[in-house]
Amino acid sequence: MGCEATRLAVSLRHDGELPDGPEHDALDAHLVGCAECRRFEQDAARLRARLRLEPVDEAPDIAAAVLAELRPRAVTPALRRAPRSARRPLVAAAVAAVAGIVAGATFVGIGRTPQSPAAADIPTEVVAAQRDVRSVDARFTLSESGRPDDRRGRLAYEAPETLALTVQGGSSLLVDQDSWWQVSRRECTPVAGRVSCPGETTRWVATVTGREPFSLSEPIPLELVTPVDSFALAASSDESRLGRRTIAGHAAVGVVVTAAQVAPFLSGLAEAADLRPVYPADPVEMWLDADHLVPLAVDVRAADDAWRPRWAATQGVVDRPGDVVVAFTVTSLKVNDPIPDDAFDPPSGRPDATVHAGFRPTGTTVAPSPGRLPEGFREYRTGTVTTPGGPRVGVRSWTDGRAWLSVRATEGWSGGRLFGDLGPDVRPLDLGAAGQAYVSADGRLVALHGDGIDVVVSGSLPPDQLQAVAADLGVVGQPVPAGWSEAASGTLIVATDAVPDLLAARDLDGFGAAAVRLDGLTISQVYAGPGDRGFTLVQDFAASQLAPSGAGDEVGVAVRGEQGRYSYERGELEWVEAGVSRRLRSPTLALGELLAIAEGLRPA
Amino acid sequence: MVDELDPALIRAAAAGDLRAFETIVRAYQQHIWRFLRRFLGDAAAAEDVAQETFLRLYRSLPGFAHQAKFSAWVFKIARNAALDELRRRQRRERVTVAAAAALDGAGDAGGTAGETKVEIEAALASLPADLRETVVLVEVFGLPYAEVSAVVGAPVGTIKSRMFRARERMQDWARTAEEAAGGV
Repeated sequence: MGCEATRLAVSLRHDGELPDGPEHDALDAHLVGCAECRRFEQDAARLRARLRLEPVDEAPDIAAAVLAELRPRAVTPALRRAPRSARRPLVAAAVAAVAGIVAGATFVGIGRTPQSPAAADIPTEVVAAQRDVRSVDARFTLSESGRPDDRRGRLAYEAPETLALTVQGGSSLLVDQDSWWQVSRRECTPVAGRVSCPGETTRWVATVTGREPFSLSEPIPLELVTPVDSFALAASSDESRLGRRTIAGHAAVGVVVTAAQVAPFLSGLAEAADLRPVYPADPVEMWLDADHLVPLAVDVRAADDAWRPRWAATQGVVDRPGDVVVAFTVTSLKVNDPIPDDAFDPPSGRPDATVHAGFRPTGTTVAPSPGRLPEGFREYRTGTVTTPGGPRVGVRSWTDGRAWLSVRATEGWSGGRLFGDLGPDVRPLDLGAAGQAYVSADGRLVALHGDGIDVVVSGSLPPDQLQAVAADLGVVGQPVPAGWSEAASGTLIVATDAVPDLLAARDLDGFGAAAVRLDGLTISQVYAGPGDRGFTLVQDFAASQLAPSGAGDEVGVAVRGEQGRYSYERGELEWVEAGVSRRLRSPTLALGELLAIAEGLRPA
Repeated sequence: MVDELDPALIRAAAAGDLRAFETIVRAYQQHIWRFLRRFLGDAAAAEDVAQETFLRLYRSLPGFAHQAKFSAWVFKIARNAALDELRRRQRRERVTVAAAAALDGAGDAGGTAGETKVEIEAALASLPADLRETVVLVEVFGLPYAEVSAVVGAPVGTIKSRMFRARERMQDWARTAEEAAGGV
């Protein structure tokens, strides 16, 4: 038994989860001769003792406050529904269309026949249209079930990186290139022990300066301008059309997607408005300006899904299938017109908190430039990011309208994993003369581990264009060292050599290529889709039966002619086929969609 | 260790009996506050989110399927409320948290690495949310992995690996703190 296996067994035994058997003896034998593993065991015990050391009487008595909140409206909870919002009437035709979809289909995006060429082209058009958007000035209303009044808001945008978002009763966000402000109502200090709670709501202004171009840590909600992330990987022919209508005087084209797909849009909106939770499989009507593909209306409805009431119960919301739970509607829109100067005025008064994010413009940087830029792109901000304890990172960026491209690089990288936070699942990619690249599961980041330099390319462009930029940087990528996490990533060809009966999702519209990981005889494939959509296929060639049932939320289902089971809680479909345990897991796809994917699996 | 309640009490509360609901609040409030206190790392926020948890619980009692374990369900509601709080905090207070982290770093360099309450909280806070919630449920409440799986909605195998990774990371964190203090 090696140290890694020993420590895992120590962890399990410490929690009473190591089954009786010879492993206990092997564990003890290793511990006798290994001081490091003994220390791990001792640390585990010390950790538990310290975590449990808490005076019981520290806990406040909140029963009175909770009951006081409930008493004025002490009615049977079963009868008390979330108050209906006084929302604007939505277009009747759209209501009818979605009602049909809710009743007739639990998933969107697979196996549909396109009925409108315009709708089918939307994913491509959205990604292309971002380059023609120079400015947006939109007023909108936001209504939510459970909130009595509609809220008004405004989005002002000037390409590429200046944006102001305000929602009545919420907070406001202003990003102006390298600076970022947020104004919110603050009820209590967020950091324990630093400041006492004021006991009342106060205006709170926070500022970041030295913001890196298109920073991923201080993101700008560009999805409100053009929902590129919600459509970049979407199927080109699978959207459900809603036809056309006019919104705020603009011709609009509509599609039905899911809340998971438009999660980046909703997250952008949540930068200035506390939004109620939505269920990933909730159907969403998204209406886009026919000329510029700017979102004009986004209506999220409660799905008619068997698990949704249980999900709602744990979120403290009550919805009926078909209820509109969030509605965003633009009431006036100007695209590519001048924006009044005061739209981007910084908040008045001295900020309550200010942080420098570490970016400084510099004439030279270690970040390389591609030999050729995508047509129409111009150079934008260039500089260097330095943070305490972090690597020195060179950054170059380019832009065309709302579209952007960034190359970040650092020298002497020793992070033990790929530079650029690609996530655990990556796809090796042969770039020919540029050597070996690694692509994040969603295709949005392309990394090169070069000789003395590590580079990552990101942007709002399609994956193939990002890869072309990476191949043109003059950096030759090498395979990552054996000890790095990404060393276990592979290709379907390599995986098939290891295990001939491997299944894969071939020719599946609406998802990127698989990021494959080989952990012994367990092969994982991660397929990313638009927005938060995506799934993981895990095949364990060392297990010929399913693990014991877990939380009791499983239902039996037929999968590919086999008796399988589905856990609503975990979003996991499991079955055994040809003596191999196989699992399809997704936190954002409904059972019906996972079953459709399972049926489409083919030998890799 | 968290006791289970009489199903009749839960049904009475679901039917609108506030006295029955008060009994439920009193039975669980200490557990929920402790869980939130560790998960959020902030006593005041834990109190607010605990109240929100019980309000959500009351609203959703009619949706409780009695096949499930009630205590796990209450923890799950608390977890969801805490995740909402973390998201709000992340959005609204990115700057403040960053500033506090910088201050923490400066303070730690000159501090001592004793086994203090502050340090264990800092070590917990250094974990990502998925590892932190798992550690608290296992270590503080002694929940078996299968119950933690039900609360956080992840397979038991994931809970095993999260506990292992959390222990490794907290050990690394403790050693770094010791070294910074001039210790071993």
